[in-house]
Amino acid sequence: MAQLQLSDLRKSFGPVEVIKGLDLDIADGEFVVFVGPSGCGKSTTLRMIAGLEDATSGTIRLDSHDVTRTRPADRGIAMVFQSYALFPHMTVADNIGFGLQLRKQDRAMISKRVAEVAETLQLTPLLARYPRELSGGQRQRVAIGRAIIRNPRVFLFDEPLSNLDAALRVQMRLEIARLHQRLGATMVYVTHDQVEAMTLADRIVVFNEGRIEQVGSPMELYEHPANRFVAGFIGAPSMNFLPVRVTGVQIESPA
Amino acid sequence: MADTLPATRFNPWPATIFTILCVLAVLFLLPTVGVLLSSIKTTREISMGELWSLPASLYLGNFAEVLGNPAVHQYFLNTLLVTLPATAVSITLGALAGYVFAKLPFRGSNVLFLGIVAGMFFPPQVILVPLFRLFNGIGLIDTLWPVIIVHSALGLPICVLMMRNFFATVPNALREAAIMEGASEWQVLTRVVLPLSLPALAVLATLQFTWIWNDFLWPLIFTQSDDKRTIMIGIVNLKGQYSVAWGVQGALSLVASLPTLLVFLFFQRFFIKGMTMGAVKG
Ligand SMILES: Nc1ncnc2c1ncn2[C@@H]1O[C@H](COP(=O)(O)OP(=O)(O)OP(=O)(O)O)[C@@H](O)[C@H]1O
Ligand SMILES: [Mg+2]
Repeated sequence: MAQLQLSDLRKSFGPVEVIKGLDLDIADGEFVVFVGPSGCGKSTTLRMIAGLEDATSGTIRLDSHDVTRTRPADRGIAMVFQSYALFPHMTVADNIGFGLQLRKQDRAMISKRVAEVAETLQLTPLLARYPRELSGGQRQRVAIGRAIIRNPRVFLFDEPLSNLDAALRVQMRLEIARLHQRLGATMVYVTHDQVEAMTLADRIVVFNEGRIEQVGSPMELYEHPANRFVAGFIGAPSMNFLPVRVTGVQIESPA
Repeated sequence: MADTLPATRFNPWPATIFTILCVLAVLFLLPTVGVLLSSIKTTREISMGELWSLPASLYLGNFAEVLGNPAVHQYFLNTLLVTLPATAVSITLGALAGYVFAKLPFRGSNVLFLGIVAGMFFPPQVILVPLFRLFNGIGLIDTLWPVIIVHSALGLPICVLMMRNFFATVPNALREAAIMEGASEWQVLTRVVLPLSLPALAVLATLQFTWIWNDFLWPLIFTQSDDKRTIMIGIVNLKGQYSVAWGVQGALSLVASLPTLLVFLFFQRFFIKGMTMGAVKG
């Protein structure tokens, strides 16, 4: 569990600046959802927090420690990938226990922890299987299991449910919400799904072209969008816009 | 709806291809059959000129002579001493370099990669004399070292090419997931990427082993004394003082090709596809 702070975070790929200065404070245990149009830099921001991408400038602080140049492994952050990224040559148990194996932990300890994690994610009967022998939802649960076993301080999810069918998505969404309640960990979650964003988020961060347009609770964004972009982006079906002319304190529609 | 085609229209291609393949197979196998036939005949029978006839009786004396000959033991040992390290070195370096080219590209790495692969196109005749002078200068002629070194180096282009291309098919997300779990690049390579690349490793091991084992040129250039020769030169050396020992040479040729056959059979089981299935997506 940790609080996460981004200050004037920037990222350029070659000459193109794709993240143009982000400032964001995420409280301990908060569930923050990133939304925004495709290509606006949500994944890039998440990858910078994870340490998979170097920030061009700015700082990332975890519990007020500067981790901008810290190796991913030493940040205590776990990430669940959109594509699951399970190791195909390892069983479910080995996939979940991989991080502990790398830390050369005692075998008995590892199997005990793996069993615990499998229990909470209802994976116990599948521990000996290989990823190719699992359904999409089961794979996603293994990916989550691999993330939670190390008790990370922050969880990052990049569109974790977008490969699942609608019914399974609803179920996994519930499981993630439950997981958040139980672990009380800080979570940052990227999604394109309005419903996911509205139901899971403590706060939603609306991105546009590498900048943050607005940060707020789902209802705040819905009822008091800071600008037209946010207003148009939040809500499904989306808001109606009417061109108006300001006449004193009253407004009148030409139509 | 489209017109329905006749249910069984004669397709000449499978039959044609089958025939061509059979002819090619016979052409390729013919020399081996010839060697096999001469290896089980006595020198007398062979010198009577009946090369392609079946022998009157199965004569195993040639094999006994070959297997009991201490010089042959030395040839085998020398060949192993060359083939195993050279195969291991070229594949190891190929995997290391291939990993960097595939997963950790840096400025100019593509040019460097092309440069390494271009090494494949050097004909040995061009580098033969300079290499001989080099190894002569540092006093390594008539040892196995130059053979090992040259084979390791000549194997690099194909190993780097194969490993890089195979590693490129391993999803980047797997590397990143492993790194998030705390793996170093070395651990990513050894625990995730290499286990998924067994087919490529098996192909390379078979290829390199066979090519180095069967090589005639480099040991011929770099070694002189009989106890430093490798098996392929040994076959030629086995000729008798006054006559060509066809039967013995045939027997040794067959024995000498056994290791490559065994290596192929051993690695064949890794030539499987679909290792990365289930890694990503549903
Ligand atoms: N490795 C890279 N090299 C160059 N440009 C990149 C790289 N990665 C991302 N970009 C660019 O950065 C911008 C932001 O990409 P990013 O993946 O963060 O978008 P996103 O908000 O996650 O989009 P989506 O919702 O489609 O996943 C895009 O314009 C993309 O083209
Ligand atoms: Mg993205």
